[in-house]
Amino acid sequence: MVMFLTIMCMSLFGLALSALAFGAATREERAKQEEALAATVDARLAAVPERFFVHDMASVRQAAEPALTPRMPIDAILLQIERHVRLEQAAAESFLYAPSRESLHGRTLSPLVH
Amino acid sequence: MSLGQTDLLSGLSQADAERLLALGERRQLAAGESLFDLGSEASAVFLIERGMMALTLPMRVGGADQDVLVEERNAGQVVGWSGLIPPHRFTLKASAQAATDVLVLPRARLEEFFADNAAVGYVVTRNLASVIGQRLQVFQAMWLRQMQRFVESRT
Repeated sequence: MVMFLTIMCMSLFGLALSALAFGAATREERAKQEEALAATVDARLAAVPERFFVHDMASVRQAAEPALTPRMPIDAILLQIERHVRLEQAAAESFLYAPSRESLHGRTLSPLVH
Repeated sequence: MSLGQTDLLSGLSQADAERLLALGERRQLAAGESLFDLGSEASAVFLIERGMMALTLPMRVGGADQDVLVEERNAGQVVGWSGLIPPHRFTLKASAQAATDVLVLPRARLEEFFADNAAVGYVVTRNLASVIGQRLQVFQAMWLRQMQRFVESRT
């Protein structure tokens, strides 16, 4: 009985030593694998569009901001609008004097419609 | 500017037109000066005697509100017909494009005068309806022209 218990204790001790040795031998490789996996996950998360309200609105705002930047000076835009209104009004008035399909939809030289 | 050239007084006798004009007060505007603002209370109509008025509406341009020209009115034409038409609120902004003289005709004086001179009131009201109707027709045509272009851009 004593011999049986001695052999069992020795076996368990040996198994524990083997497990420790295996763990020490593979720790470095496991750390490398975890780093690689984390990098892959980060890359995938970055590729997915952000969700939920605040982040979505931030991304929409960021996307919209460049479009709000005027491509030409405001004074120039206002002058073009004024010219457009004068031409369109003249075209509309000429339609009232001589109503016809042609006079209603006649083209003008307004830069805003070309 | 002769009385016959004014769109508000067209069809009135010389004597009636002079009596009507006597109700007004002259006002001088410098270039760029505002006569009335969008949404403000309209208690008078204005007859342009000299110069030119720009009628504008606000529009968002480049992230800021800008007054965009909608219509121009010259000597002999009337602006501010909201002064005689309920709910008596200006639906545009009017400002002088150059040095301009206007005759200010207060609604209270006009209504009192029309009450005693119904025939004159009828002619002036008919002239005013003509001004309003013409603007409506012009803008109908302008709107349809714009719609036509929109449809053409989508087909």
